[in-house]
Amino acid sequence: MLLELYRVHQFVMKFFKEFLFPPYEGKEIIRQCYQVGYRSLLLISLTGFITGIVFTKQSRPSLAEFGATSWLPSLVGIALLRTLAPLLTALISAGKVGSSIGAELGSMKVTEQIDAMEVSATNPFKFLVISRVIATTVTIPILTFYTALVGLIGGFVNVMFNENTSFIAYIQSFLDSITFLDITASTIKSIVFGFTIGMVGCYQGYNSSRGTEGVGKAANSAVVIGMFLVFVEEIVATQITFFFKT
Amino acid sequence: MTQLSDNKRGITVGLFLLIGLAIFLIGIFTLGGQKKTFVKSFTLNVVFDDIQGLKVGNNVWFSGVKIGTIKKLHFYGTSQVQVFLSVEEEAQKYIHKNAKASISSDGLIGSKIVVIDGGSPKFPFIEDGDRLMVNNTLSTDDIMKTLQVNNKNLVDITSDFRILARNLVDGKGTAGALLADQQVANNFKAIVENLKNTTAAADKMAQELSAFSKKLNTEDGLANKLLTDTMVFAKLQSSVDELQKTAASAAKLTANLNQASAKLNQTDNTAGLLLNDQPTAEQVKSIMKNLESSSKKLDEDLEALQHNFLLKGFFKKKAKAQQKE
Repeated sequence: MLLELYRVHQFVMKFFKEFLFPPYEGKEIIRQCYQVGYRSLLLISLTGFITGIVFTKQSRPSLAEFGATSWLPSLVGIALLRTLAPLLTALISAGKVGSSIGAELGSMKVTEQIDAMEVSATNPFKFLVISRVIATTVTIPILTFYTALVGLIGGFVNVMFNENTSFIAYIQSFLDSITFLDITASTIKSIVFGFTIGMVGCYQGYNSSRGTEGVGKAANSAVVIGMFLVFVEEIVATQITFFFKT
Repeated sequence: MTQLSDNKRGITVGLFLLIGLAIFLIGIFTLGGQKKTFVKSFTLNVVFDDIQGLKVGNNVWFSGVKIGTIKKLHFYGTSQVQVFLSVEEEAQKYIHKNAKASISSDGLIGSKIVVIDGGSPKFPFIEDGDRLMVNNTLSTDDIMKTLQVNNKNLVDITSDFRILARNLVDGKGTAGALLADQQVANNFKAIVENLKNTTAAADKMAQELSAFSKKLNTEDGLANKLLTDTMVFAKLQSSVDELQKTAASAAKLTANLNQASAKLNQTDNTAGLLLNDQPTAEQVKSIMKNLESSSKKLDEDLEALQHNFLLKGFFKKKAKAQQKE
């Protein structure tokens, strides 16, 4: 366990060491951004929209008991911005992107393609790990903004059909209840989530072994550990945000 | 082909990132606009005894419009709290030096807010760093205390009502008897029946009165003429004047009669003497008796005279002339 933690520490340190010094694999970063961000957009948007509708629908009865359905936009807005959008995006990305990175790097490892890159004077860490981690760190926050927006639209659709609330009133009510701290916390959190998912996927794939079994294990571990760490980070981030709020 | 594909991918990723960042920036600026973050503001402060859970970032309202936010809170003096308000400059020209601030709530279960009233126009406008006066309002605790008193009263009232209802059920008191006693109920029914009849009669009377008033309003009626025809009114007024004059004459006559009748009661005049003095009455009676006796004798004398030969011819002629007529 301690050895594993030491290896993780070494891996993270190596990332920062390599990240701080050029050259950067621009094309690979763009390709990874495309794979991680753009290719996930439809799935993320659809999930965000459905979440917005479902969350609004499920929250209504509780608020209706107090005659406070006019607070739905605030509730949906706060929930989406503070937790749902970053967490949902991170979990979907951990499942889709983390497993993909783990499996891809794992198969490259077991087929010794990474060793071949080293032999051909290409820095495999920079090409494979740095580009992927940068891609996840940059695109997951962007995907979070999309999710929040689409989720808000989903919530609005539900509120509009049930309470006949106008879009301006909905947005005003939402904006009334959020602060810059919420946006800042949400952005920082999604950056951390993106970094974690990328790092976990790369670490698991980069250190996989024992043939095809190792590839499957790397993909699986990338998802499980990635999701677990996202939840842990969510708790820590919430505590830190509350500390700043009070 | 790969180059083209790479370019296309680059553009797609660029657009993806650009739109995502645009959403973020629009969100930031919209929120900034909403929170008046990018608006020029000035600072006011107010010292409250109890801020009732007011927090940094809570809104400041003026006439129901959000004009700023709570900037800072810190303890002041022994147990008071100084609250610094960041108020947008636009609102400065509406707030006067004697404006007061109070802590209120955004809705029944909403967050706390500071509400500023405008103050009197006699005072100059407020300036940066000024301290607002406090307008003490009822806190939730005060409201709860009042509610508690109300609850106690409500308990007393319901307890009284319970006794009242019990008495009603037991038939005690007038209302109870009305509900429980058959005789009283029958009497009440009779009263209601009478009332019904009275109402019907009153209704009929009202109808008749209505018909009568209609008649009064007919064009040829006296009342209508009195009200509308000026000639009739003039004649009536003239008649009334005459009547007044007659009444005045009658009054005069009555006065004279009174005077005369008063004199009749006295004995200093002939009539009064005749009516009131007993000796005179006796005397008059005696005279009358003498007169009666004299007239009787005269009658006899005249009868004798008619048979006198000297006058016999005259009376015969007279009788013949009467027969002819």
